[in-house]
Amino acid sequence: MSRAVYARVFSRWAVIVWLLLMLLPALPFMSKFYLLLAFDALLFGTIAMSLDLLMGYTGLVSFGHAAFFGLGAYASAALLERGIVSLWACLLLAVLVVGLYALVVSFFATARRGIYFALLTLIFAEVVYTFFRYTQTFGGSDGIQGVAAPRLVGDVAIDSPLRNYYLVLVYLGLAYLACRVLVTSHFGRVLVAIRENEDRARFLGYNVQRYKMAVCMISALLTGLGGALYPGRSAFATPDLMLWTVSGEFIIMVMIGGLGTLAGPVVGGAFFVLLQEKVSSYVDWYFIVIGLVLIFIVLFMPRGLLGIRDLLGGRRWRTTA
Amino acid sequence: MDYVVAVLLPQLLHGLVFGAALGLLALGLTVIFGLLGVMNFAHGELYMLGAYAGIAVIGMTHSFWAALVVAPLAVGAIGALTEVTTLRPLYRREPLYGLILTFGLALVFREGARQIWGGDMRRIMPPFTGSTPLLGMTYPNYRLFLLVASSVLLLAIWLFFTRTRAGVLVRAAVQDAEMLDGLGVNVPRVFTLTFAGSAALAALAGLLLAPIFTVYPQMGVEMILLAFIVVILGGMGSMGGSVVAAVVIGLAQSLLTLWMNPQRVAIAIFTIMIVILIVRPRGFFGREGVLE
Repeated sequence: MSRAVYARVFSRWAVIVWLLLMLLPALPFMSKFYLLLAFDALLFGTIAMSLDLLMGYTGLVSFGHAAFFGLGAYASAALLERGIVSLWACLLLAVLVVGLYALVVSFFATARRGIYFALLTLIFAEVVYTFFRYTQTFGGSDGIQGVAAPRLVGDVAIDSPLRNYYLVLVYLGLAYLACRVLVTSHFGRVLVAIRENEDRARFLGYNVQRYKMAVCMISALLTGLGGALYPGRSAFATPDLMLWTVSGEFIIMVMIGGLGTLAGPVVGGAFFVLLQEKVSSYVDWYFIVIGLVLIFIVLFMPRGLLGIRDLLGGRRWRTTA
Repeated sequence: MDYVVAVLLPQLLHGLVFGAALGLLALGLTVIFGLLGVMNFAHGELYMLGAYAGIAVIGMTHSFWAALVVAPLAVGAIGALTEVTTLRPLYRREPLYGLILTFGLALVFREGARQIWGGDMRRIMPPFTGSTPLLGMTYPNYRLFLLVASSVLLLAIWLFFTRTRAGVLVRAAVQDAEMLDGLGVNVPRVFTLTFAGSAALAALAGLLLAPIFTVYPQMGVEMILLAFIVVILGGMGSMGGSVVAAVVIGLAQSLLTLWMNPQRVAIAIFTIMIVILIVRPRGFFGREGVLE
């Protein structure tokens, strides 16, 4: 890795923020409740970031990411339920299951562009949702409930909110590194080229569909791994995790944060989770608030929260364009 | 023969009835898609609002027929207002933003309905009961009315698009909005009125189907997926295609239920859809190069 690339991957801000997040649980008000909230914020932030690889960098809108997330959660919960409590086994099975499914979806979906890609991913995800919702082997509409905590090594179980928090923080760090390396590399530049002008990228000799499939797989696997961490925190996996409206929420997170920035969607995911939590503790119509926030952002801040810096006259946030 | 009359025929009619109503829903969706390039995720919520507006009007007037007139008008007005305030500023932007915007609108409408009318299931009584002997079986009167009403409406819409100046303007806007603008037509107004009309159609479908189904805030979520499938199957932006596809889906759904449980039917329809998207992405009558 050249020095310039190295500097972009380990950017000062990313490292500082990550280290500060390490210290977050030390704050006096961080009760178990807030730790779990922070877990959700980081988990969904990371998932939004992996969706950003598709939406922001490649220009593909996936309306089916909830299926990757849910499949990962089910893979992990099914193992934990059967007494296989190794975290690594859970992650491995999630990678296999999500990878296999994503291979099929991405093979067919990437052959189409624009709205067709969105609808294909949506319908594939609906098939998975319907299957889990009505198959009694996996608990039907109740899903898999009350699973044991996964173990890291030997007897070390990830059974406290604090341990879960650090686990998801490590996941965020590694996923961010992976995504940053990816978008900085030649591969990432080709993705942007595809987003800007797919035909031209093809004429330049790139096998566009192969690139799109690859980024789909990576995005799906990162999302699936996030899903595999979820039962460790919640002790369940339900079909509702895969509802297509959940995919819509992932998209909202990316939009809130800012397309094509990686860091933005992490902020967007965290903002979404915290907003939902804060607003829902005062009123029960938080979906109206979230809907209005989304409408506001689409209309007035298409660059997302990280776009605020533009308004304040700061340096333009590093984007891909 | 007994099997045909007792099982197959009613199921066929059910499919036809549902397909015709679904056609009303999908028609609005496909026109909006052709016009704005936006898959309207809030369309299912306009369908839901139609049913609730109907309940509200019936509560005041005790007349289903009054509701049938007032509810679509009210929802159409909501649609016009929505279009002017939120979609109009997005004309020049990528369709992706419109898509995501309508997702936000859907959230607001759905939760708004839950706040106003509560989350529980409701029913609308059909305006008339009883059934008519038909081809050796008896069939509920309301469903027959639904079939006739939907068919008449679809015919009226077809006449509107082919025989009136307004209808031709909408079709022209679908073809080439810029050119229409150049010819001195107020294109934004065409857009707004079309959106209002599509909202009114969705509301009408919601209210017409309400006596058969149940009314609840999430009722649009499942319908909209089916309507999307219809729109793709018919070919994006093709109005005739949407109606044909709606009937095909309606029939397929009700006939498949004879041999499979509803979940398998859902999966079967999704699978058919995936296959069609892969081998013939433009559907039955889709034009080439529409938003690919």
